[in-house]
Amino acid sequence: MGLFDKLAGWLGLKKKEVNVLCLGLDNSGKTTIINQLKPSNAQTQDIVPTIGFSIEKFKTSSLSFTVFDMSGQGRYRNLWEHYYKEGQAIIFVIDSSDKLRMVVAKEELDTLLNHPDIKHRRMPILFFANKMDLREALSSVKVSQLLCLENIKDKPWHICASDAVKGEGLQEGVDWLQDQIRTMRT
Amino acid sequence: MIKKFDKKDEESGSGSNPFQHLEKSAVLQEARIFNETPINPRRCLHILTKIIYLLNQGEHFGTTEATEAFFAMTRLFQSNDQTLRRMCYLTIKEMANISEDVIIVTSSLTKDMTGKEDVYRGPAIRALCRITDTTMLQAIERYMKQAIVDKVPSVSSSALVSSLHMVKMSYDVVKRWVNEAQEAASSDNIMVQYHALGLLYHLRKNDRLAVSKMLNKFTKSGLKSPFAYCMLIRIASRLLEETEGGHDSPLFDFIESCLRNKHEMVVYEAASAIVHMPNCTARELAPAVSVLQLFCSSPKAALRYAAVRTLNKVAMKHPSAVTACNLDLENLITDSNRSIATLAITTLLKTGSESSVDRLMKQISSFVSEISDEFKVVVVQAISALCQKYPRKHSVMMNFLSNMLRDDGGFEYKRAIVDCIISIIEENPDSKETGLAHLCEFIEDCEHTVLATKILHLLGKEGPRTPCPSKYIRFIFNRVVLESEAVRAAAVSALAKFGAQNDDLLPSVLVLMQRCMMDSDDEVRDRATFYMNVLQQKQKALNAAYIFNGLTVSVPGLEKSLHQYTLEPSEKPFDMKTVPLATTPITEQKTEIAPVATSKLPEKLTPSRQDIYQEQLAAIPEFQGLGPLFKSSEPVQLTEAETEYVVRCIKHTFAGHMVFQFDCTNTLNDQLLQKVLVQMEPSEAYEVVQYIPAANLPYSQPGSCYSLVRLPEDDPTAVSCTFSCTMKYLVRDCDPNTGEPDDDGYDDEYVLEDLEVTVADHIQKVLKPNFGAAWDEVGDDFEKEETFALSSVRTLDEAVGNIISFLGMQPCERSDKVPENKNSHVLFLAGVFRGGHDLLVRSRLALADGVTMQVTVRSQEETAVDVILASVG
Ligand SMILES: Nc1nc2c(ncn2[C@@H]2O[C@H](COP(=O)(O)OP(=O)(O)OP(=O)(O)O)[C@@H](O)[C@H]2O)c(=O)[nH]1
Ligand SMILES: [Mg+2]
Repeated sequence: MGLFDKLAGWLGLKKKEVNVLCLGLDNSGKTTIINQLKPSNAQTQDIVPTIGFSIEKFKTSSLSFTVFDMSGQGRYRNLWEHYYKEGQAIIFVIDSSDKLRMVVAKEELDTLLNHPDIKHRRMPILFFANKMDLREALSSVKVSQLLCLENIKDKPWHICASDAVKGEGLQEGVDWLQDQIRTMRT
Repeated sequence: MIKKFDKKDEESGSGSNPFQHLEKSAVLQEARIFNETPINPRRCLHILTKIIYLLNQGEHFGTTEATEAFFAMTRLFQSNDQTLRRMCYLTIKEMANISEDVIIVTSSLTKDMTGKEDVYRGPAIRALCRITDTTMLQAIERYMKQAIVDKVPSVSSSALVSSLHMVKMSYDVVKRWVNEAQEAASSDNIMVQYHALGLLYHLRKNDRLAVSKMLNKFTKSGLKSPFAYCMLIRIASRLLEETEGGHDSPLFDFIESCLRNKHEMVVYEAASAIVHMPNCTARELAPAVSVLQLFCSSPKAALRYAAVRTLNKVAMKHPSAVTACNLDLENLITDSNRSIATLAITTLLKTGSESSVDRLMKQISSFVSEISDEFKVVVVQAISALCQKYPRKHSVMMNFLSNMLRDDGGFEYKRAIVDCIISIIEENPDSKETGLAHLCEFIEDCEHTVLATKILHLLGKEGPRTPCPSKYIRFIFNRVVLESEAVRAAAVSALAKFGAQNDDLLPSVLVLMQRCMMDSDDEVRDRATFYMNVLQQKQKALNAAYIFNGLTVSVPGLEKSLHQYTLEPSEKPFDMKTVPLATTPITEQKTEIAPVATSKLPEKLTPSRQDIYQEQLAAIPEFQGLGPLFKSSEPVQLTEAETEYVVRCIKHTFAGHMVFQFDCTNTLNDQLLQKVLVQMEPSEAYEVVQYIPAANLPYSQPGSCYSLVRLPEDDPTAVSCTFSCTMKYLVRDCDPNTGEPDDDGYDDEYVLEDLEVTVADHIQKVLKPNFGAAWDEVGDDFEKEETFALSSVRTLDEAVGNIISFLGMQPCERSDKVPENKNSHVLFLAGVFRGGHDLLVRSRLALADGVTMQVTVRSQEETAVDVILASVG
């Protein structure tokens, strides 16, 4: 804990809390990303496919995040919508080496963006073009083209290439998200 | 948060329960706050409690609303409030089967079960296993294995107990955890060891050899946990019973050695196991009984209670062993714990001598009002047993029972007393009038409809045949004036029986009936109108058919026939003879006092075995047009127990045909049988019309084939016949490992035992509650009489038993019971002969050298009479 956090704790100041949905196809690396963002003593070594969802927490310099890490397997995707109302922001993870399923990812994204609980809300979306370390991985530009991200007009979005196993590219994304949320509130 | 209730408030049911008037819809509305951020743990907790309360009250939740509430609840996993999280686990378990998609919490629960918070881990495992089905089990298998051997006892126990639940659903998966369970069985924690043993046993219980190996291992190595020891004792005694192992078996030695264990719990369990074993010798029993005797004087109430309760249970089986403890039991009569005292006294009543009855009864009267209903029932049961043993004591008992009837008490208790009085009346004719008088007094102020109607029925049956029937009329008519519809209707039926049998009462009964015809209830009015019309005819036969002896048809069968009739209307009136008869005649009021736990209010009418056959056979096209199914026999085994093929036969009788249903099982795992049929060669003029084979008979899956046989028309008295039976089939050999059958097969046959058709297959039992009336009703148009000597029979009892089972008819008026020390007896039998005619048999028996029997048979039809006499002679 930094000095400021301690001070804030003493003074009874609490960090602003924000709920984030972490979505994306199975095996894209959602759980691995969230795990990296958690304080090192809370990280697990053992990441298995998520069944249903799990709630994880981590903090940044100014925010306290509660993440709903959803399962990406086909048969659980229709359960995402139960939690849409909950989210103030979305992290959408894409396995950039999985060219074959890029269309599936796009379809899920479109369904998500058209859902009544999401459609008219100005919530920031952070995309991780994950697994950039793999040789056959597409660039983040290519991924954003394939997903037609430029069509998203009413929501701030941002895409980062990342390697969740090493933790690369994550901080940049989270910093962007934090800024967005702060400006959103004020 | 949950208030501790004042016990008194709870009993009086006053409004102290804060959840009493919960509205489901309001609670579900409140559950919306689960969606609010930040979460308010205290309020959410309160609402979850309400939801669980409603669920446990049996409130029905629709799938949609349950799912909505469930998903809202899943958000509460955000909060780290411990109490709230544990309440979530409970909610998950309660809603596991009513909400959809409950697997959504799987990852959250696996996280908790493997996390750092020990308080979460056990409960998370239990919740997880409730929402996991066979397909998902693989995904959590690894965690379950780890949890079973976890060093935190609560985690290990939770995993073991949950595994035990899952054995029912996914035996094959759980079986793979045996090694882990084995490791847990050597845990130092007594609960973990106990649970591990439980799981190991349930994984193996169908394999006797494995169970016995396991017992062997643990009895040698010894266990820490007394609970585990108790379980071993139970397993061992079950195994002994199943294998009919003698008492020289090492298992018995083990149980006996537990009598010297240092834990009282184990010692008690062993003693209890031994006294409950069938056929123990006095010598084997002695150490167990002396342990119980010792416990009787223990300062610990729980031990005294356990001991005396066990002695009470086995008092009838081992009277002499229990008598050995009489002194100790005497001391317990005055025990400050009333439950112990009651059990002690009732045990003494069961085993004591006739002379001590009065003293004990006096003792128990002194505090009977202070004990709970459950124990009062124990007292009544003891009295009931006593009356059978010492019939002469019935007046003391009757007195006592009538006092008990006057006291306060719940339904079970009152029912036990009423049943006991009825049984005394039936056993001792000279107690009838006193007993009926007590019951009359009881129904004057009886809040239990079931009991009131039962007693009214009894009064109707017995009252008219007492020396002074008129005195019951007042009690019965009071019911018509004062009670609920069901009781009023029963009272009307009882009144009618008096009018039908007692000519001098008839005018006044008619006046009362007139009054009942103005009742506000349909059923009461209908009955009154019906009886009024029947009684006014003043015909004995009508009275018998419509007042004393009610319907004998199967109720579901009647419903179906009437429905059929309305579907195909015809000019012909509906014929009652086309309705299948009830297979188990509505018994005379029998008085087995069932243990309290098993006694329930009469259930909804379930279709009988025969109703089910009727339906199954009707579905086979070849059997259409046979008419209603008249009778189905008990299954007859046509093979020995342990043979390659197991075949049993059920004989179904129709008006002019019989259908033989052969249930076959193939016990060879390397054979598939096809086109299976049983060829039948009759000894008489029976004609096999058709065989309906079973297409396939794979290993261990039972299948049925049928033979349709026409009964000889020209000789209706030819009722018995012997069939030699051969099973014929096509064999296809199978690979025993894969079960794949060969392409080619070969024909083969297998000789079965002979099958007998006897006179009993043509007669259906029917109870005539008033045999005399039925006898008059049928009349003597076709009466025949003959006398026989039954030289091979030695006693009247034996003769009565033989006749009943030979003819397959229903004994009436309790005439199947031969009073002691009599040398003559009359047996009344009633039935219906194939085709639907009533058949009555009166058989006078006299004991001389052998037994001589004079048989008188009546029926509305001559054939039936001839059949009986021909088959007896
Ligand atoms: N090479 C590489 N592998 C990664 C990266 N991120 C995740 N993985 C691996 O991808 C696999 C799936 O990761 P998860 O985090 O379980 O994926 P998920 O999106 O949570 O999957 P579901 O829970 O099934 O929806 C794991 O074996 C990770 O180790 C990455 O950046 N590079
Ligand atoms: Mg995941």
